[in-house]
Amino acid sequence: MSTLGITQEPPQSKRTALQVLPPPRWIDGKPSVQRVTEEIVRPLEQWPGKEWWMCFAPSAGALALFLIAVNYTFMKGIGLWGLNNSVGWAFAITNFVFWVGIGHAGTLISAILLLFRQQWRTSINRSAEAMTIFAVICAAQFPLIHVGRPWMVFFIFPYPNQRGPLWVNFRSPLVWDVFAINTYFIISLVFWYLGMIPDLASLRDRAGTGIRKKIFRILSLGWNGSHRTWSRYEIVSLVLAGLATPLVLSVHSVVSMDFATSVVPGWHTTIFPPYFVAGAIYSGFGMVLMLLIITRSTMNLQSYITMRHLDMMAKVLLLTGSIVSYAYATEFFAAWYTGNLYERYHFINRATGPYAWCFYLMVLCNVITPQTLWFKKTRSSVAFLFLVSILVNIGMWFERFVIIVVSLHRAFLPSSWNMFKPTIWDVSILIGSFGLFFTCFLVFIRVLPMIAMWEVKAAIAQEGHQAASTHHADRELRKEVVNA
Amino acid sequence: MDNHQPGSQTQLGCKKATAAQASASIVSPQQLVQITQPSSGDGLDWKTLEQLRSFPGGQVELSSRAVTTTEKLAQTSRRDFLAMMGFTMAAAGLAGCRAPVQNALPLLTGSDDIIPGVANYYATTCGGCSSSCSLVVKQRDGRPIKIEGNTGSTIFGGGTCATGQATVLSLYDDARLREPMWMGKPAYWEDVDRQVLQFLHRYEPRDLRIALLTSTLTSPSTRAIVADWQQRYPKFKHVSWDSISYSALLDASYKSFGQRAIPHYRFDKARVIVALDADFLGTWLSPVEFARQYAKARKTEAGRVLHVQIEPGFSVTGSNADVRLVVASSQMMPVAAALLARVAIKAGYLNLPDISTPVDVRQLDAIADELWKHRGESLVVSGVNDLLLQTTVNTLNLLLRNIDQTVELNSPSLQRSGTDVAMHNLIGEMERGDIHAIMLYGVNPAYDFPDQERFVAALKQVPLSISFSDRLDETSSQVHAICPDHHFLESWGDAEPVESHFSLSQPLIAPLFGTRAAQDSLLAWLDVLPPSYYSYLREFWRKNVFPRHKERLDFEAFWEQSLRDGVSVASSSVTRPTRVHEDWKSAVRTILENVEKSPSPMREGYELHLYESVAMREGKHANNPWLQELPDPVSKITWGNYAAVAPALAKNLGVRDGDIVRVKSKRGQLELPAFVQPGQEPRTISIALGYGRTHAGKAGNNVGVNVSPLVESMDGTRSYALQQIGIEKTGRSQRLASTQSDMSMEGRPLVLETTLQEMADTEHNDQEDLPNVWAERLIGEHSWGMAIDLNACTGCSACVVACQAENNVPVVGVSEVTRNRIMHWVRLDRYYAGSEDNPRSIHQPMMCQHCQHAPCETVCPVLATTTSSEGLNQQVYNRCIGTRYCANNCPYKVRRFNWFQYSQNPEYDYTMESDLGRMVLNPDVAVRSRGVIEKCSMCIQRIQLAKNMALQGRRNLADGDIQTACQQVCPTQAITFGDLKNPESRVSKMLRDQRRFQVLAELGVKPNVSYLKKIRNTLETT
Repeated sequence: MSTLGITQEPPQSKRTALQVLPPPRWIDGKPSVQRVTEEIVRPLEQWPGKEWWMCFAPSAGALALFLIAVNYTFMKGIGLWGLNNSVGWAFAITNFVFWVGIGHAGTLISAILLLFRQQWRTSINRSAEAMTIFAVICAAQFPLIHVGRPWMVFFIFPYPNQRGPLWVNFRSPLVWDVFAINTYFIISLVFWYLGMIPDLASLRDRAGTGIRKKIFRILSLGWNGSHRTWSRYEIVSLVLAGLATPLVLSVHSVVSMDFATSVVPGWHTTIFPPYFVAGAIYSGFGMVLMLLIITRSTMNLQSYITMRHLDMMAKVLLLTGSIVSYAYATEFFAAWYTGNLYERYHFINRATGPYAWCFYLMVLCNVITPQTLWFKKTRSSVAFLFLVSILVNIGMWFERFVIIVVSLHRAFLPSSWNMFKPTIWDVSILIGSFGLFFTCFLVFIRVLPMIAMWEVKAAIAQEGHQAASTHHADRELRKEVVNA
Repeated sequence: MDNHQPGSQTQLGCKKATAAQASASIVSPQQLVQITQPSSGDGLDWKTLEQLRSFPGGQVELSSRAVTTTEKLAQTSRRDFLAMMGFTMAAAGLAGCRAPVQNALPLLTGSDDIIPGVANYYATTCGGCSSSCSLVVKQRDGRPIKIEGNTGSTIFGGGTCATGQATVLSLYDDARLREPMWMGKPAYWEDVDRQVLQFLHRYEPRDLRIALLTSTLTSPSTRAIVADWQQRYPKFKHVSWDSISYSALLDASYKSFGQRAIPHYRFDKARVIVALDADFLGTWLSPVEFARQYAKARKTEAGRVLHVQIEPGFSVTGSNADVRLVVASSQMMPVAAALLARVAIKAGYLNLPDISTPVDVRQLDAIADELWKHRGESLVVSGVNDLLLQTTVNTLNLLLRNIDQTVELNSPSLQRSGTDVAMHNLIGEMERGDIHAIMLYGVNPAYDFPDQERFVAALKQVPLSISFSDRLDETSSQVHAICPDHHFLESWGDAEPVESHFSLSQPLIAPLFGTRAAQDSLLAWLDVLPPSYYSYLREFWRKNVFPRHKERLDFEAFWEQSLRDGVSVASSSVTRPTRVHEDWKSAVRTILENVEKSPSPMREGYELHLYESVAMREGKHANNPWLQELPDPVSKITWGNYAAVAPALAKNLGVRDGDIVRVKSKRGQLELPAFVQPGQEPRTISIALGYGRTHAGKAGNNVGVNVSPLVESMDGTRSYALQQIGIEKTGRSQRLASTQSDMSMEGRPLVLETTLQEMADTEHNDQEDLPNVWAERLIGEHSWGMAIDLNACTGCSACVVACQAENNVPVVGVSEVTRNRIMHWVRLDRYYAGSEDNPRSIHQPMMCQHCQHAPCETVCPVLATTTSSEGLNQQVYNRCIGTRYCANNCPYKVRRFNWFQYSQNPEYDYTMESDLGRMVLNPDVAVRSRGVIEKCSMCIQRIQLAKNMALQGRRNLADGDIQTACQQVCPTQAITFGDLKNPESRVSKMLRDQRRFQVLAELGVKPNVSYLKKIRNTLETT
């Protein structure tokens, strides 16, 4: 966005002498602006190909499974799941935390990378944001369906009522969750939609007459592409980015407090907020990586989502994966160092108990896997990165499972130690949530531009100028924008 | 509440009840009214039931709603009137969208005894087993809903056992017969009577060979009816036969003391108790009585009482013992003989043979020393059905001078009188066709006689067979006529569990079905007109019991008094001359020589030890889902029996919990799941009797395996200890429905023990008050708390069933229990410590600890759980949305979630599905719906009731006014409830005991429940 009005040549005199390397080029080839639009809009304007259907059919099937399983759960009660007196939360809350975590990459890419002016985000931010929206939608299903009486779930909102002083319990992290998730969803949705408006206008302009034109006309909110519009648009984007940035940190911190504020050994840990945020970004990037590898091949967008994009994301995975590994180590150290009987036992049990295989799977996926990304060679293999992205997601799902189930199944009183064994309904709902997610995503890439066209165009233009000092140029531009 | 005018009782009661029931999700009409009676001073208001024959019980639904509305209308202001009119019109309009309406039918003729919402209490006698405990039963709106012990009983006290608690549910059992049956078809009583009388009149009275086979008859009046039959028909034969045999004990008593009656044991007077495979705290003879005595003796201030348990399996009694010796059944006799030899030497007998036993000699010496040191106040008992062993025990008690001290012969126990040999003779006569007619009362030999097929074949030889069974069970489905008996809560009766200690039974409800008391049937066929057992009973008491009470002159007054009290102790009729063995010296020698000579038992193969389980006992109550779902106090397994094997044996065989094994004996083989039981004798397999019923009813059919076919008869006496047993794996396995899988405390300080020495050494042993981040709570008018004395708790599990009955806790069935979803509000945690071969075991009742800084409370997003101003942690069902966060955050894991709709759901057809089963529900407690959390409320309905009573009596609540259900049922009074704010309350005093500790106090949750450490005594060996 900051590359707006790039036609202007930055003053050559201000180029620094130290600039030796050319700035990275994020788009392969030198597509014309016209070609960018054509290529990105192509999937929207033609009947989808076989590959899309091959992805859509199982996704829709899984979504149907989700609907059946949830419906049956509503009819019979959550006793259908493998929960018991000791393990009151398992798959549903694991899925909830998992999906909320997935969402974080989108916000990070669209907000924080925007503020840090990371050019490479342009090709991927739209789909990452969409992923956030769908991930939060998936996540939001679980608090609803996991309660015992879903028909009473509105009690959790502090709405005006006639029950006198009866109100929600503001001490409960579940109430914080409600606010955190809702805020997160609203901001993400607005941000995503706002980012799409110039592209929606492009679509409107391309559309013939008919209903399609009407829809895009309404959605593009009368965008006319004037300098004034662009200038206001720029400011709003920055403000929203500023608003969204703390959410990257806050949402998962709040989710982690569901556990951290409790007394359960394995949950009651102060490290949880940063640990959860890092894990969320880690898993989110894993999911973005996976989606983009799929879409770039199914939609023939290799020149927009390049190996350099994948390389950058792999580096983020390496960083956040290392933070997560450090957090694991810290937990074990703290358990040993505090000498708390119950805490210690929990970590011994985590590594040697009946669910130890989950723990080691988690270590394999979240500690060992990212360390392979130190090498350029591994980062440049699409197949390997795809494998890594899947492992990251499996690992992060199991991380939440280990935290939730392993802590609960052997808490304070050994008399109440029980095993959790998932039922077919637990598994159906887990698979079904992926169906919901992928169905939404696949529909999205069919009906909306999955790459921010205007940003790509701007990036191409800027690259064309071989802007040596983008920062400087941006600063200059900002001045101009403000002055205008 | 204080500004209410006294006198507006209805309104007041109403208000209180509504507040208490605000959370009710299903409100029955009775719940809307709770009018409490003015207290008559001493708590319970008992009444006589003279009018009961015209008693209109049964009709449940009373129009109490109408009563309240009318009374309220009388005080209506204009504003109220307008508001109500508006409401009525709106309600009329909305009537179309109402949920299904349940109609309440008013009683056409009211009764002075029934005030809607007010419970009545009547004394009666338990018919659960032949221990015949005295009860006080709570009757609400015409139906009995809760059983309590009769505090007036000098024998049993206010406690009851799990079985006794559960019998109220058996009253509302769908499987009960609703009318008599003749030749397998429903019939009218008149027809059955005509047929029976026609048959009887076919013979000359002096030729008629008619037999009556009963379990032990503790009812003296019933015994009198039997005597009448004897008089009418000289060849009449009464055979008394118990499902679990005490024959050898009776025979040994006859042999040693000259009377065929079980001595009245006094555990309360004993300082040293040695029990040889006698589960006297769980199932043996009279467990409620013995548990009460035992706890009394073991009170800390009473000093040291040493309890030595010698047994092959792990019984609940063994789990309480100070010293538990693991001895195979085959070695029980040598151990007893070795003890006898040691005691006899101390008594001055010389030249006794030495008996070798598997037990460490030093331990035996120490036990003998202890016994000798406390002679006159020691007690040896045995539950082994073996004449020689029982004689040895008698001899031991005699040498220890315990006779008339801890072994009372003057007023013997009449709780068991069955004779195995008589049963064998009877079957022989039946087979020969010598019996013309047989009547079966309280027995089910087609299920529990070892040779079931032989019995059934013999039964077919009898021209007329009649059963008084209440259901179509294994035996009654084979007879010509079934004349179903009343449930004991519907019938008159009496009992004499211990000689001269009488107990009356009176009906709590008019018979639900077309049943008739067995005594009435017996009288009808004697041509007594009119055949009324009630008048017979009265006459019997007038002639036999009344004269033995010298203080009363008027029989009517005596009768009323006895009915009200339920119990009556007569002056002893005669002092019996206790004829003891002439020559004890030679008896000792004979016993020892016998033992020495007898071939050393086979060491090849394994041994089988068949025992009665605490929950199922002999199997009579198999269709009672409360009992089926009651975890065994030691193994914690529900819904079925299993083959308990020692860890070492399990390792050898390669079996794990739930692996199905095949157990083979000479008499056959059966397959059932194995359970690895620490503390089990390494070569012994223990299996519970009482399971594997096929004709009990839908809850009890085919649960577990019937092992009674394996029981052996030796010289006509049944033996539950079998040798030369084979065991092998089948390769199949099933999951045991266990409620506790982990055995040890994992090194955590959860249940604490101490010794008397340690107590004497340390002055004060309170847990230190740790710093806390929470603000202190303001305490209201009261601060309810509980103290549980682990030294008194035996783990008998009666509290579990009592809580279930009081608080409408659902039964969830075997699959839900297997998935660890049992709903019990109070559970008994059992932990082992020490070696796997013979661990110590400790029980800890665990219910909601009512924390002052409750972790469940902060995490609930909707404030569905809160702490009251009186310190109770309350669960508001209507507000709960079921996030289960509270359950996760509860350190004690006492919160229970309704995973499904457990009431009125055909998939959970146990107690709350049928209209009949729902009659047992306590109207004061809401039935919880699917999706909400529930947990111990400390019987808040009882607290509220006691407060109402105090308010109406214009007095302050006194300590002890409120008893929680678990407290009231406890035979050992291990649980004390009361106001912590009152420093003089019993619970406050207990909290100042140096043994006091709190579980997980270091979490800073400040529980309102405290525990007192268990005291473990040791046997010092030299």
